[in-house]
Order: sequence, then C-alpha cells, then structure tokens
Amino acid sequence: MNKRPRIGLYTLVALSVVISFLPIVWLILTSLKNTAGIYAWPPQYWPDPFTFDNYVKIVTESPELLLYVLNSFIVALGCTLLTLTIGGLAGYALSRIKMRWGAVLMVFILAVSMFPPVSLLPSLFQNFLKLGLLNTYSGLIIAHAGLFLPFTVWMLASYFRTLPPEIEEAARMDGMGLMRIFLTIVIPLSWPGFVATGLIVFIFSWNEFPLALVLMTQNAMRTAPVGISLYPGEYAFPWETISTATVIAIIPILVITAIFQKQIVGGLTAGAGK
Amino acid sequence: MTVVQLDRIGKSYGGFKAVEEFDLTIHDGEFLVLLGPSGCGKSTTLRMIAGLESISTGLLSIGGAPMNDVEPKDRGVAMVFQNYALYPHKSVYDNMAMALKLQKMPKAEIQKRVGDTAEMLGLTDYLARKPAALSGGQRQRVAIGRAIVRTPKVFLFDEPLSNLDAKLRVKMRMELQELHDRLGVTSVYVTHDQIEAMTLADRIVIMNGGVVAQVGSPREVYDTPADEFVAGFIGSPSMNFIDLRRNGDDGWTSVEGHLALPPLSFDTGQRADLRLGVRPEHIEILDPGADDGIGMTFDAKVLLAELLGADALLNLDVDGIRLLARVSGTEHPVAGDRLRIRFHEAQLHAFDCESGRALERGVPTLVS
Amino acid sequence: MMSSLSPLDRRRQQTGLAFVTPTLLVISLILVYPILQSIVLSFGSSSIDGSEPYRFVGLKHYMTLAGDDRFWNSLWVTLTFTALSIPLELILGVGLAVLMNEHFRGKGLARLAVLFPWALPTALNTLMWRWMYNADYGLFNAVALQSGIVERPINWLGDETLAMMSMVIVSVWKTSSFMALIILAGLQSIPRELYEAGRMDGMSKWQEFREITLPLLRGPILVALIVRSMDALRTFELPFNLTDGGPVTATESLSLYAYKVIFDFIEFNYGASIVVVQFLVIFVMSLAYIFTLRNKD
Ligand SMILES: Nc1ncnc2c1ncn2[C@@H]1O[C@H](COP(=O)(O)OP(=O)(O)O)[C@@H](O)[C@H]1O
Ligand SMILES: [Mg+2]
Repeated sequence: MNKRPRIGLYTLVALSVVISFLPIVWLILTSLKNTAGIYAWPPQYWPDPFTFDNYVKIVTESPELLLYVLNSFIVALGCTLLTLTIGGLAGYALSRIKMRWGAVLMVFILAVSMFPPVSLLPSLFQNFLKLGLLNTYSGLIIAHAGLFLPFTVWMLASYFRTLPPEIEEAARMDGMGLMRIFLTIVIPLSWPGFVATGLIVFIFSWNEFPLALVLMTQNAMRTAPVGISLYPGEYAFPWETISTATVIAIIPILVITAIFQKQIVGGLTAGAGK
Repeated sequence: MTVVQLDRIGKSYGGFKAVEEFDLTIHDGEFLVLLGPSGCGKSTTLRMIAGLESISTGLLSIGGAPMNDVEPKDRGVAMVFQNYALYPHKSVYDNMAMALKLQKMPKAEIQKRVGDTAEMLGLTDYLARKPAALSGGQRQRVAIGRAIVRTPKVFLFDEPLSNLDAKLRVKMRMELQELHDRLGVTSVYVTHDQIEAMTLADRIVIMNGGVVAQVGSPREVYDTPADEFVAGFIGSPSMNFIDLRRNGDDGWTSVEGHLALPPLSFDTGQRADLRLGVRPEHIEILDPGADDGIGMTFDAKVLLAELLGADALLNLDVDGIRLLARVSGTEHPVAGDRLRIRFHEAQLHAFDCESGRALERGVPTLVS
Repeated sequence: MMSSLSPLDRRRQQTGLAFVTPTLLVISLILVYPILQSIVLSFGSSSIDGSEPYRFVGLKHYMTLAGDDRFWNSLWVTLTFTALSIPLELILGVGLAVLMNEHFRGKGLARLAVLFPWALPTALNTLMWRWMYNADYGLFNAVALQSGIVERPINWLGDETLAMMSMVIVSVWKTSSFMALIILAGLQSIPRELYEAGRMDGMSKWQEFREITLPLLRGPILVALIVRSMDALRTFELPFNLTDGGPVTATESLSLYAYKVIFDFIEFNYGASIVVVQFLVIFVMSLAYIFTLRNKD
C-alpha cells in the first residue's frame, strides 16, 4: 500500500498517546522536582535536580496520605468481594431460574442505578449517622456495593447466559443443589467474567467520590481521591505533596489497568454491548 | 421392573403448548425413540421425564411411583446430552464419579464402578484427562459412562450423536445398540434422524407440533403410517403424494395432470377425493417388453436422473405429474428416456385430504 | 393465574429468591430507601440528626427553588456542560475507535494510553489538569508564554467562559476513551464481508464509513450516549476539584450546588428538593434516549 496514510495514521496515534499521557507524565515529573523546581521560571520541563525527596517526605511527614491509599484499598477490595459474592448469586438467579418477577426485577435493578449519587447523600448521611456507619469501612463498602451492584448483576447475568445450560442440568441430574452448582460449576466456568467485573468494580470503587466524601468525615478514614483533594494547606495548594500523593494513589490503578487491559476492555464493551 | 408411564402429559410455556396429551407406557427394558422434526416437543417430553422441566398437566410415573414433584436426582434416571455437557474443569474420572460422590458412596465402591464402566467403554487410559483433551466420540463415551455408573432405572438420551461426524455416528450407534442389549435398561432416545430411530428403536414415537402422530415399531411406521405427516417424514426420499378425484367409473383421476387409476382397495367411504401416497422405492421400472398389462402401469418420461451411488433417483413426468422414483443398478435410465412404470396396489397409501389420516384398506365404496 | 406452580418450580423459585435477597437488601438500603427518603425530605422540614421532628411543608422548597437564581444557574451550567462535552466526546470517540481498528505496531500500548484516563479517579485527573491549568506555574501557560504565543498568562480557570471550556476539556479527555472502546467493539462486530461487498460496488473509504460503518454503529453509539449523558448530568467531583464551581458560580453543577446546600448551608430539605429535580432531569433525558432508540428500530 502507499506510504502516506501510514504516516498520517502513526501521527494520529502518537498524538492520542501523547495527549492521554500528558497530564500523568507532567504530574510524575512534578513529583520528581524539588519545590524550587516546581515553581521556577523559566519552567523546568525536566526535573533538575531529579529527586525523590517528595516521596521520602510523604512517608516521613505526611503518612496520612499513605493511609488514604490504604483506606481506598480496603474499601475497594471489600466492595469488590461483597459485590461479586451477592451480585453473582443474584445474577445467577436472574439469568438461570425462571422467576415470575425475574424480568421486572432486572429492569428495576437497572433503573435504580440511574439515580444520581448526590441525591442519595442527605438520606444516606442521616441513616449512616443513626446506624453508626459513618467513618467505618463496612459502611462505605456497603454504600459502594449498593452503587455498583446493578452493574455487577447485569454483567454477570450476561456472562452466565453465555454458558451452555446443559452442564448445569447435568449437575442437577447428578444430584447437586443450586448453591453447589453455583459454587462448584458456575464459578469455575465463569471466572473470566468474575475477573472482568471485579476489576471494573474495583476501579469504580477506588475512584468513587461523593459518597466517600460524605460518609468518611474523619481525616484518618478518607479514601485517596477524597483525602488528596481535601489535603490543601492553609494558604496555597502544596503541589509538591499533592502531585506525589496523586502519583502514589494512581499507581495501583495504572498497574491493574496495564496488566488486565484485555479483561477490562472486554468487560466494559460486553456490558455496554447488550 | 421399570415401566415409565406418561399419563396425558403436557407442557405449556405461557399460552404456548409445547407438548400436549402425551399418553404412553414405556415397557421395561424397551428402547423407545422419540422422532420428529426440530421444535416438535421431543426434548421437552424427555426433559419432563428427567425432571428438568416441570409437568404442566398429566401424571408421570416411573416404576409405579408418581414422579411429577420429585427432584431429578431422585427419579433414578440418567441423561446424556447432545453437547455432552461434561464438566470441563474436571477429569474424566471425576466427571463419571460425581453423582456417586454426591450420593456419599464409599470411595472404594466408586473406584470400582467407574473403573468397570471405563473399561467397558474403552476409557481406562483417559480417566485422568480433562474433557478438552478428548475427541468427540470419547467425550460422548464419557457422557454415557457418567450415566451408566449411576445404574439408573431409565436412560434418557437427547440427540446424543448429533454432534458427531457421519462415520463416528454410525459407529457410536452400534455401540449404543450393544450397550442396550447388554444392560437392558429402559431407554428413551430423542432424535430427528430417522435412520437412527429405525435402527435403534423397539418402538418409535413420531411427534409433530407437540402431539404424538404415531406410536409403533419401525416396521409399522414405515409400512402403515398413521397419517400423511408420518408417511412423508419416514422414508428417504419422501413419499410421493398425488391428489385424486373420483371419476364417473369409480376410478380416480389426478387433480393435476391426467393420471387415471382404477378403483382402489381402500375404505374410501363416500369421499370424492383422496390423497394417494407412493414411496419412491415402490415405483417399479418395467423392462422393455415386460409390460404384461397387469396392475397399474403408466408411461413415464425421465426429466432428471441423479446417481446416488448404488441407487439412482429419477425425476419422472407421469401423465403430467411429477414423481420421484428410486431405482437400483448402475445402468439406470438417463434424462429424456421414456419408460413404463408400475404401482403395486399393496404398496400404495391413501389419506384423507382434510385430516391427513390414513385410510384403512378395505372394500371400496362404489358410488356410481 | 393463581399459584398453579408445580412444587418442582416453586422450590427452584424459592432458592432463586433467596439468591436475589442480599442484593435487593443492599440496593434497597443504599439506593431505593434514600431516594424515597429524599423525596419525603423535600416536602418537609427536619434536622440532620433527627432532633427536630419532621414537619410537612408541602411545595415550599420547590417554590423557593423556582425563584432561586443560583439553582437555575446550576441547571444551566449542567446542561451546557453536557451539551458541550458529549458531542465532542462522540466525535473523538468515533475517531479514536476508527484509529484503533486499524492495524499498526504498538497497538497494545496505544489502547492502554486511551484506557488510562478513563481508569483513573476523576477527582485526581482533575487535580492533574488543575495543575496544568495553573495560571502561574502551569504547563500550558509556561509553553504559551515561552513560545511567545501570549504575553500575559491566561487565567484558564479564572474566566467564566474559559473555566467552562477547561472543564469540558478535562471531561472530554477522560471519557472519549470510554466512547472509543464501546464503539470499537461495535466496529469489530461489523462483518468484513460488508466492506468487501462495498468495495465490489466501488465505494470510496468515506462512502464505506457513511454507508456501512455509521449506520451499523448506531446501537453502540446510543448506549454510549446514554451512559455518558447520565454521567455528565450528575458531574460532581470535576467542578468540585477544578474550580469549586467558580469563578463565582460559572461552573457550579447541579450536583455541586446540591452538595453545598446540604453540607455547607446545612439545608437538608432544600437540598433534597434539588436532587429530586436533578433526578427528574436525568429520568426525562433517559426516557428521551430510550424513545429515540425504540423509534429507530
Ligand atoms: N423455555 C421455553 N420457553 C418457551 N418455549 C419453549 C421453551 N423450550 C422450548 N420451547 C418451545 O417448545 C417447542 C418444543 O421444543 P423442543 O422440545 O426443544 O423441540 P425439539 O426437541 O423437538 O426440537 C419449540 O417450539 C420451542 O420453541
Ligand atoms: Mg431438542
């Protein structure tokens, strides 16, 4: 084929890659400068001196920023496990058991997921206050599970529908109950679906903002996106700390996304394609 | 003694009746085949026996005990599925042993049973493998083995050979036959393949649109089809049908073309019309000069001749009617040939034009 | 029909119900009950901790809302933001998807690059951009000033129009990739034979795109549009972190205004009436989409 379109293609690809990475790269570069470098004129495009001081400083002086990441991790992991467990059961029932209200239930579950999260805040805050769930991991885990269960149920139900039902029927003939079929046949056969869904839910939970903001009011319980956003000092935003903390907070997501790129993309497109 | 009794069993999905009034007693040790076109309700019937579908109306009993509300595992039946339905993540051994493990059978006993069954089916060397590492025929053997180890009172098969290639299908068919002879367990077998049905069955149930069209031995359904549907379904290629109208001499003339036939020995009653059926293999091609004038002989022109191998199919024009004839021999006629053909009265079938029911043989009623 | 269920089916259904119950409980606790409660709150007055009993006040809050300029402003901001960002995302999404559907080296890396912005927390993405937009030390002004394009720093987030544009850019940057992924999946499900047939008919590349690609992408595009519009209509952390709704209220979205009313001004009941209206807007919008979807098929 002729050469020109190829060059055009690569230019466009390169442009998209650069634009996608630019804020992240700039942030990383910022985190590797010293304070003078960050606020220097003329601006430093490359850190000079190149230093890990900001990272050391976070560990020694602002360990709460690391605590935020730990909180995010606990909440996201807990939410993923809870969601996959109960959402998997619900998805299985809705995809495989003929229930009189099954279809209605599915539509209902999807419809309630349309509510804007902020509309939940006044009442959730009150209820969590009453129930003593404010500033607890379990509280935010349940709240996130509520937000992401509709997606989970939908995803897993579509996945279960792709399995040949005869295997489960054979298991029924062999004498297994529904729970045992789910645990020993369905889960092993649909783990790619669980992995994809779980990864996306983990990312969703890690990234969730409004509920995490309102339901975790104590500094020590904040998740990374909220904690870092609310971190500012008294006068100006301390960009050397913020950039470094942000880098630390997004690294887990960057790694997960890079490793499981295929599963995540597959899950997203499967969920939207149906 | 395992008699399976289907007492006017029916299944509806919402308003749609997938199976209606299925009434049959399956004898102990019988090999019963459910045959019919796709969508006619064969699988639904089988699955009602298995307990995988609930029974909407009627009563099912196995070995004398009512089964409608009994869980599949407690019915004493085992099922072999078309796509094998093996547990892909478990070894052949575990696949075969699963039901026994769930019954909490002692381990030694399980090992012995699975071992014996595997040996019978030639699977001993594959017990440690996963299903993915087996050929199609081997997988189906495992599926059958999984059913056998349970020593069920009834075997249920849902098109077990449909996923195999033609050669393997014939081989497995024979193996199934041997197996049945050996074990003598009551079996219900679903297929849409009439050759499978003819070769395996003690009795065939032919279904059409959720209803039983005919129950009978392979011979019976071939020789005396109960209605036009069965007549057309059994036999390959299909039976020729000719619409006839009574003429003034109590003989019959074809509605299309101008084929004329003498009075027929069917119990036609006062009917003014009927549908005649002639199987392609029952149209005799007369040798030149062999026309002795006996029986119904006609002039025919060969429009097309297709060689099938040992046989050939002739597309004939007989007095303006298209008929298919099956002839044997390598020196068959070719397109353009003109022939004499003969129908043998005893091999003809007649059907009511409206209901499609077969007419009994008997003395024809003469109206003129 | 009265319960003519066979015991076999009934047992199965009971197990099914048991399987669904935990999910229903959580969803009821987190989604259904709060929504209903928000509706109730919006028609009354009460205190956060329940020390003051609920008193029904009818449409009072909604009347206030009707005369609240700041509310109308936030509605306008939200709709403007949605109307500006969705078409841009769509165009870029289709472009990116077509690009990613080509074969070239380093495709895995390129796909990862477009996936990253979507995968990262919006709140932190916004911080990164805010840093680049920073009038004094930001990357954009550094480049603009050094290259002599401008003489004075641009106040990206301090000007009403620029601030809205800046916000739209962050959103488009983050979510075009999501659009692209969904559209890409649609692209890859178009049978190759269609294009071969098109080539036999003598179609140009552009005609192929117009006559084959676009019509067959309608489904995925509509799905992406629905999902994204619902997101855009409830955008919260983006203005929260980028501008805090400013300058003044130029980028104050509905969600952000509702949040401030509830947690800064401690007006739970009034805030509830805002979120109810917001929900209605989203609901109507979804219905509109669903009807377009239906009618076209
Ligand atoms: N779960 C179901 N819901 C609705 N209709 C069904 C269901 N299962 C089967 N049917 C319908 O019942 C009829 C018989 O199906 P089936 O017994 O599978 O046919 P066969 O096995 O003879 O091909 C078909 O028309 C099929 O569409
Ligand atoms: Mg079938």
